[in-house]
Amino acid sequence: MIQREALNPPLALLYKRREGYLWISSEGDLMIQLSYLDYIAVEKKSFLHRLSPKLKIIGMIVVLSVIVTVRNLPELLLLYVLLLTLYFTAKVPLRIFSLTLYPLIFAVLFIFLSGFQIFFILLILLKVLCGSTGVVLLLATTPYPSIFSVLGKILPSSFVIALFLTYRSIFILLTVLEDTQHALYLRGGVQWKHPWRSLINISNAFGHLIIQGIDASEKMYESMVLRGFKGKIHYRGE
Amino acid sequence: MSHIHLPDGVLPVWLWASGFIVVILIWTILLRTMKKEDLTKRLPLLGMIAAVMILGASVEIVPIAYHVNLTVISGILLGPSLIFLATFVVNTILALFGHGGITVIGLNTLTFSIEGVLGYFLFHLFWSVLKRLTPAIFLATFITLLCSTFAMIGVVSLGTSHYEELVHQERGKGIIGFEFGKEKEEHHPGQATEEKVNLRRFMAIVLPLGFIGWLLEGVITTLIARYIQRLRPDLLRLKT
Repeated sequence: MIQREALNPPLALLYKRREGYLWISSEGDLMIQLSYLDYIAVEKKSFLHRLSPKLKIIGMIVVLSVIVTVRNLPELLLLYVLLLTLYFTAKVPLRIFSLTLYPLIFAVLFIFLSGFQIFFILLILLKVLCGSTGVVLLLATTPYPSIFSVLGKILPSSFVIALFLTYRSIFILLTVLEDTQHALYLRGGVQWKHPWRSLINISNAFGHLIIQGIDASEKMYESMVLRGFKGKIHYRGE
Repeated sequence: MSHIHLPDGVLPVWLWASGFIVVILIWTILLRTMKKEDLTKRLPLLGMIAAVMILGASVEIVPIAYHVNLTVISGILLGPSLIFLATFVVNTILALFGHGGITVIGLNTLTFSIEGVLGYFLFHLFWSVLKRLTPAIFLATFITLLCSTFAMIGVVSLGTSHYEELVHQERGKGIIGFEFGKEKEEHHPGQATEEKVNLRRFMAIVLPLGFIGWLLEGVITTLIARYIQRLRPDLLRLKT
């Protein structure tokens, strides 16, 4: 399976925090986290992992409805505590907890709009935390293909195929990126001391990813056609 | 900066619901007008470019909390129809990582696709006039990002009355609700306007950061396009 291919890629090298290096992954290496999320969704066995994906998606919709409608701090706090309890009882590793905090960086921007009202700040923070914790909980306990298979029943097939192919492509690109990083370091990597050279290196890396990605997409289409792809992906479940 | 990094439950329901309705309408129209075989054939390409955009969005430059969107170069490579579909997919996956709320996927898709679609047309316009890749792509990216940032501010401003409602809902009950700094000292009953949601303050934060981001993304997009032109000029489909 694709998930296993992408486990623990040495991608962290690219993001390594060395003195003078500019390239930063503040969100705890989102792309690495993605493959790790995928891994624990498949490998871990808690009661939440065993629960039907359909029920978990309904649960997520309920959480979202509460976030959208409730404007009361104690109720939102209660929801957050509930989600945290589920997070820890489902034995989701602490390593990915940082993903639930990541949206706070951007929520700060919105707080400037409010005139720094404490109530508003707490309301926004709790809504952010409830939303992100719910989503991470869903992804950490449900493999992506299972989510897509449920979505495929209600959303247009072209959209769900596009979602699935994007998901697959992320892992292909991670492999390409792994190779690219070596070339990047041989050309000086990304350093504060040499911003222009760093920008050129970053851009060349993205350019390389795009070209390699386009080539890979052509091969992917050919192999999909060979396997009988006619515009629809069928999910067989776990 | 054009990405609305708002959590769920902040924007009024009518606003984010309208975003979804518009996106679904455009999606339906595009699917009806595109040949099914063409779409099926290009879906892997769409998926791959969407993945590159997600990769770009996951690499953040910390001092200004900016990440590249790569929507302009993606728009040029995919064309105006497919880039819309790609941005919808990208925003859905990003939302699943808490990068913008799930309810704002529709609005984010609209602002993102402005970048892709406008970037595509502006690039081809500048290319036909200037016949030089570097200024054409840089100007297209810079102007496009400027437009999409204002589109984002426009979207945020549409919900002003809703935010005010959220900010002031607890005041009447006398629970919490003090302010910091100057406004705290000048807190008098007659100065309600001081406590209102301040869009100018929001713009004062977003626009300077955005300006750095537009420049940065303009340069990166230009360098990427030059790299692609060196190795695979056919991908840019430039008319000479």
